[in-house]
Amino acid sequence: MGRRRAVSLVVAGGVASLCLAAPAPATAGRAATTVAGGDVRQGQELFVTGCSTCHGVRGEGTQRAPSLLGVGAASVDFWVSTGRMPLKSSGGRQAVRKPPGYDRAQIDDLIAYVTSLEPGGPGIPELQSASADLVEGGELFRANCAACHGAVGIGGALASGRRAPPLRPATARQVSEAIRIGPGAMPSFGPDVFGREQLSSIVRYVESLDHPDDRGGSGLGHAGPIPEGLVGWLAGLGALLLACYWIGERE
Amino acid sequence: MTETSRAERRTERAIALALVLSTVAALGLAVVYATGGQVQLEGALLGTSLAALGWALAAWGKHLLPSGPFVQQRHGMAETDPDPAPVSRLVDERTGEASSGPGAGADTEGLGAVGRRPFLVKLLVGAAGALGVAALFPVRSLGPDPGRTLFRTSWRAGSRLVTEEGRLVRAGELEVGGVLTVFPEGHMGEADAQTLLIRATDDDLQTRPGRAGWAPGGHVAYSKVCTHAGCPVGLYQVATRQLLCPCHQSLFDVIDGARPVFGPATRSLPQLALLIDDDGYLAAQGDYDEPIGPGFWERP
Amino acid sequence: MIKRLNRWFDDRLGASGFVRTALNKVFPDHWSFMLGEVALYAFLLLLLTGIYLTFFFEPSLKEVVYHGAYRPLRGVEMSQAYESTLRLSFEVRAGMVMRQMHHWAAIVFLAAIVVHVGRVFFTGAFRRPREINWIVGCSLLVLAMANGFAGYSLPDDQLSGTGLRIAYSIALSIPLGGTWVAYLLFGGEFPADSIISRLFVIHVLILPALILGLLGAHMAILWRQKHTQFAGPGKAEDNVVGSRLWPSYALKSTGFFFLVSAVIAFLGGLAQVNPIWLYGPFRAADVSAASQPDWYVGWLDGALRVFPPWEIRAFGHTVPGVFFPGVLLPTVSFGLLFGWPFIEARFTRENDREYHLLNRPRERPVRTGIGAGVISFYVILFLAAGSDVLATVFDVSVTGLLVAFRVALLAVPPVVTYVTYRLCKEAGSLSDEEVAPPVVVRTPSGGYLVEGERHGNGGDGVDRADGIREKR
Repeated sequence: MGRRRAVSLVVAGGVASLCLAAPAPATAGRAATTVAGGDVRQGQELFVTGCSTCHGVRGEGTQRAPSLLGVGAASVDFWVSTGRMPLKSSGGRQAVRKPPGYDRAQIDDLIAYVTSLEPGGPGIPELQSASADLVEGGELFRANCAACHGAVGIGGALASGRRAPPLRPATARQVSEAIRIGPGAMPSFGPDVFGREQLSSIVRYVESLDHPDDRGGSGLGHAGPIPEGLVGWLAGLGALLLACYWIGERE
Repeated sequence: MTETSRAERRTERAIALALVLSTVAALGLAVVYATGGQVQLEGALLGTSLAALGWALAAWGKHLLPSGPFVQQRHGMAETDPDPAPVSRLVDERTGEASSGPGAGADTEGLGAVGRRPFLVKLLVGAAGALGVAALFPVRSLGPDPGRTLFRTSWRAGSRLVTEEGRLVRAGELEVGGVLTVFPEGHMGEADAQTLLIRATDDDLQTRPGRAGWAPGGHVAYSKVCTHAGCPVGLYQVATRQLLCPCHQSLFDVIDGARPVFGPATRSLPQLALLIDDDGYLAAQGDYDEPIGPGFWERP
Repeated sequence: MIKRLNRWFDDRLGASGFVRTALNKVFPDHWSFMLGEVALYAFLLLLLTGIYLTFFFEPSLKEVVYHGAYRPLRGVEMSQAYESTLRLSFEVRAGMVMRQMHHWAAIVFLAAIVVHVGRVFFTGAFRRPREINWIVGCSLLVLAMANGFAGYSLPDDQLSGTGLRIAYSIALSIPLGGTWVAYLLFGGEFPADSIISRLFVIHVLILPALILGLLGAHMAILWRQKHTQFAGPGKAEDNVVGSRLWPSYALKSTGFFFLVSAVIAFLGGLAQVNPIWLYGPFRAADVSAASQPDWYVGWLDGALRVFPPWEIRAFGHTVPGVFFPGVLLPTVSFGLLFGWPFIEARFTRENDREYHLLNRPRERPVRTGIGAGVISFYVILFLAAGSDVLATVFDVSVTGLLVAFRVALLAVPPVVTYVTYRLCKEAGSLSDEEVAPPVVVRTPSGGYLVEGERHGNGGDGVDRADGIREKR
């Protein structure tokens, strides 16, 4: 925590000096490129404040963080809207989801700025909900995603202290972005691997996993035979042991 | 006395012959099965073996063992006292008198009666054993000879890579950091041919000495069947370029020929040498150069 | 009326003497003696629910296209086995609850057997003359495990199919004949076409018949030898103290059967088990994270994860790594389990006479210590089988966890054995002095005298006919 405060202080100091040094924003020069309605200028301000220490003032990267040149809108949107960026400074092996540090408008601004640095990278995927096929999505999910995220999307363990996160907290947009960009340890699946329709189908299936069909009773966390065995021992045999104790003699 | 003992010896010889016949028939049955089988011969030999064994046992019981007749008291069902001493007594067949001499009221003589003819007993054991062994032979029909099937998959020189849906894979459609499960064209879904295509780098990759040109454009292909216990090694960690098997957590280094770096796997995942054909599609240079999947006795 | 019926049967069977003896037979009442009953009644429920399931299940790997009630799988190709299980679960009224009751009953069945084996072990009930029944019981354990594995593999879903692949690899790993064993069992190279229909015959006919036969023997031997009992007032080596079979034991036991059924019914309806529709049909190239077998196979799965990568390759042959945890470990484990009465007798020489009075675990510190250590060994293996789930839940490294389990496997059981041994020794020397209140007598001269005290202490004692333990 101390490191974070120190960083903020340095940044605040930097911003203060910048604000003092820079002229007032000129409205005439505001024809900068905007993506999804974001404002490049405001994006730049936010970027300098919150991202440049690690990613470089012009997004070129430092030894602490990779270059953001050409990453594309989907990347920025995913990392920032899931709250994984800005990174928690307390070490850790991979960025974790947390409440995002920016609101929607600010994220759009950030997207606008970063994509203005260099073109390229996946854009925010457009999903076609009309042609999204739940069945095909399920088949593609089980073939490509379940190995890491689990058949019901509860997440899974990877090596080196990393994990594939549970999928329930992710929005449809975030799911589609992750598939395209392959964040962190995740591989990427470009448009040649999953076309737009297939992507929409997978996303539809992942959304359906938020409410899996549990008509058999309590889902027990959807973690398979382990919670089932626990329940069988504790609730099942446990209740019966109590019954034995009641019916039989104790000496 | 000599009459009975001569008759006995004749019966003994007959029983011995029957047991030998049973043994021979059982062995013949095994031979017929091993050489491909033939319905009428199988039935005849099995029938002969069983009949000979059956006749031998029955004749033994009838002619060579004390047959009595013996007598034992009966009590009405409605009576509540069980018979306290269920002893049976030898009875004279002609007169119907029950004898009371020594040995006439004994319980069954136990194994001793049968064991008094050791030669026949040995033949009996042999016949029963032969029949038992022959009866195991049909187990062979449960499955095919493994032969060389564990040493081969359906990949051939020039087999084009296809996805599970049958779509051909073009070199370059997979981005760096992308992964895809592929099969030889025409053999989608085959368990031993399942292969992982990974775009590990954007340039030609050599994973081991002697494997130059196996991974054109950074497209490297490994058998997806884990060399530990056969699960599909489905987890590709882009950041570390490692493959993780979800079943028992074996970890393989993609850049180093899928060498196992953690977990219980002992052997690298076999690598499939790839080429890019004239139309730009990815294809195999040939089958895997070693058996895929978990080990087995015949694997060198 | 009953009398006349009795008379009619007795006139034809002459069994009334036997029946009278039987109804009067005494069974000891200790609650821990009811654990075997839990297993028995769970098995009865398995038979009843299982028969129902056989009317609907299709043991065939023939591919069909699904057109049933579960929408996310409509149009998907799957085997008839999987399709019939979906139909049973979603479209047959009471099908789901029957299927879940069947699965829960199997889980409880094995848990009960394990606890029952534990009770028999820690009280020394396997000693002469009950060695045969111990072997019968251990066989029942093995058969029950095998039947459970066969049963949950029948629906041909992704999770159980992965388990079958591993079983196939374990068979392959057997030296000399492994490839033949695997090919004959499965009917060819995995996945082959016959495995489900064969597992069906094994699961519905062969193993239940064996289990029923051995169960019959198990109870017949128990009936003949009479049940053991703990030492206590009025109890001796040559008597049995408890309730009569009729009416109290029969009623309590029948009531208990309904309680067992009730628990399984509650589980069957309220707790979802093996949701195969969420796993999808088996595809040889697919796999899911968090793939575990049912709990009673977990020790084997954990062993596969934790064993180091050791393989023997020599003279053109391989003994693959899976052989050691997959074949050798179970063989040794069950060998020791089956042979325990004889192993222990070699050291204690307690096969000189019959033993019908039980030990309290603390009276046998060595046996209890060893048993606790062995249990801790298998508990660690169970935990190792869930290492990826544990890593996910507790947000720790799965590779680190596996290394920790390897260390624990070697370090923890000896410590547990020693600590348990010491605890037994302490408990034995402290609390088991059963001292009857001393009888104080006033002597004529006015003084007080304490009359002969009666002692009973646990451990190292010989039981006398009056229930008093004499020090050796």
